[in-house]
Amino acid sequence: MTTRTTRRRGAVRWAAGALAAAVALALPAVLDDSALAVYVLLGLAAMVTVGVSLLMGYAGQVSLGQGAFYGVGAYTAALLALNGLPPLLGLVAAPVAAALAALVLGLPLLRLRGHHLAFATLATQLILLSLAGQLTFTGGDIGLQAIPQFSAGSFEASGAAAYAYLTWAGLALVMLVTHNVITSRPGRALRALATSETAAASSGIPVGRYKLVVFALSAAFAGLAGGIYCFYTGYVAPGSFPVLISIQYIVMAVVGGLGTIWGAVAGAAAITLLVQGLDQLANLPGMPSYAPSVLSYAVYALVLIVVVLFLPDGLVPAIGRRLSRERPPATR
Amino acid sequence: MSAFLTYLLNGLAVGCAIALIASGLVVIHRVTGVVNFAQGTFAVVAGLCTASLLGLGLPHGVSELAAVLAAAAAGLLTGLAAVGRAGTTPLSSLIVTLGAGVLAYAVEIVLWGDQPRSAPGLAGSVTLAGARIQTQHLLVIAVTALAFVALALFFGRTYLGKALTACASNPYAARVVGIDVRRMGLLAFALGGLLGGIAGVLVTPLRPISFDTDVTLIVNGFAAAVFGALTRPVVTLAGALLLGVAETMAAGYGYGSHQLEIALGLMLVVMIVQAGRRSALSQEQT
Repeated sequence: MTTRTTRRRGAVRWAAGALAAAVALALPAVLDDSALAVYVLLGLAAMVTVGVSLLMGYAGQVSLGQGAFYGVGAYTAALLALNGLPPLLGLVAAPVAAALAALVLGLPLLRLRGHHLAFATLATQLILLSLAGQLTFTGGDIGLQAIPQFSAGSFEASGAAAYAYLTWAGLALVMLVTHNVITSRPGRALRALATSETAAASSGIPVGRYKLVVFALSAAFAGLAGGIYCFYTGYVAPGSFPVLISIQYIVMAVVGGLGTIWGAVAGAAAITLLVQGLDQLANLPGMPSYAPSVLSYAVYALVLIVVVLFLPDGLVPAIGRRLSRERPPATR
Repeated sequence: MSAFLTYLLNGLAVGCAIALIASGLVVIHRVTGVVNFAQGTFAVVAGLCTASLLGLGLPHGVSELAAVLAAAAAGLLTGLAAVGRAGTTPLSSLIVTLGAGVLAYAVEIVLWGDQPRSAPGLAGSVTLAGARIQTQHLLVIAVTALAFVALALFFGRTYLGKALTACASNPYAARVVGIDVRRMGLLAFALGGLLGGIAGVLVTPLRPISFDTDVTLIVNGFAAAVFGALTRPVVTLAGALLLGVAETMAAGYGYGSHQLEIALGLMLVVMIVQAGRRSALSQEQT
């Protein structure tokens, strides 16, 4: 690749990023409340998906339990806020608690690889959900209700627009952190260990520590999203974090393109909008009562299967390749 | 004491049902190297089919057989998606089977709704040494024993079974001697569906099956299968029996609400211990 194309591509990327940021900032002003709700949920899903993409695409680790860390963040923020602490403290504590949980769980779990790790993370989420449904301080199956609105100092988030700005500020932070991680030396080390842990270890990369840190980081992203989610909806319950939500993040990351930041956002946007559109279709008069759940199950499943089989690199890399008409650099 | 014996016998029956699910996982993994997350789905399909067919007035036996065949067909379809396309890596196949399981949710809700369904099984119970055990439980144990013997004979004594094993141990060499690895993979999936279907047919009379029961079934089946490192059927059977007894004892002595945690916790411990014994090098593909 010549320096000129590199520079041109850099400029194109910078312009695309600036455009995306401008659109993201402008949207809350023009959307109505129901569209804003979708916008907030889209941003939250993108936040978690960036973490999944980092974990799966860069470090090569599969987590089918990302929804658990989303839940840990939401419960942490909700419990702190309900006990009278300032919501800002809850929002800060949410990613920290999720990361700590990931460190504790990851220490034994990350010794597992491939399908073992996938299943272990799924099992972890099932255990946490079951516990949350039985313990008293989490409110059992009913969960926690009447969570106060988010506020920081004199600012109080009262409308959906405020949460939209909060969410997309969080997403920008998450994307910035991820960008800095993957362009750094540890980022290259992560890519190396995804290819071969043995080779990475023998060239001096602390494989175990790096895997643990990236697991905790992706959990922190999910925890932050969970924290915002609990203030936005005002309640959390075990039913808010089903196993399907973890699968949904995998679908979004795979659809957008694993190991790309913008791919995660694009995947989250594509799936959220698709499911939302079908949901409206399913709620039209004359549709059977089971239509919403059936359509969303079918969509997740079909999109996942088709993309894994026919578009294994995901949407964004495929489009990027079409635009630049070059062979993709071997990232994985 | 008779309470203990009752729990033990019931636990063995539960374990046998788990073992049938796990054996399907083992068969598929042995031949294709894929962990089939849709294994629980096959049991659900068979269970729901039995309930419907019996409801339509078909006799016992015919209904069950048709249900098991439906599960085998579901297995074949899953296999077509997961390993039918050349060059699909085992991890991609795993994600595809996950997708197949979720897709089955949609189909099952359309066909059967989201409420649990049950089917009548063998009625009555037998008293053994002071312990009462349902006849259906004895049937589960008997069928499982038959299935495992049949599997052992099939893999050990028949050419087809040996061809299947050859695919797993060295796909390249298997292809060289003229074995169609793709067809063998599909056959393994159909066989997995068949075994899952038998489990579903046997379990439905014991406890109602709904579309999302597959999570519990696959979790238990996988827990048992990892005991045998997903390749050794006999160790898998032992693991499944241990798990079934542990769960039934937990429920019997008042920890019923923690059944799932016990099964999952046991599985995690086994996996972590096993992972510590194997080196990273032996698990990486060359």
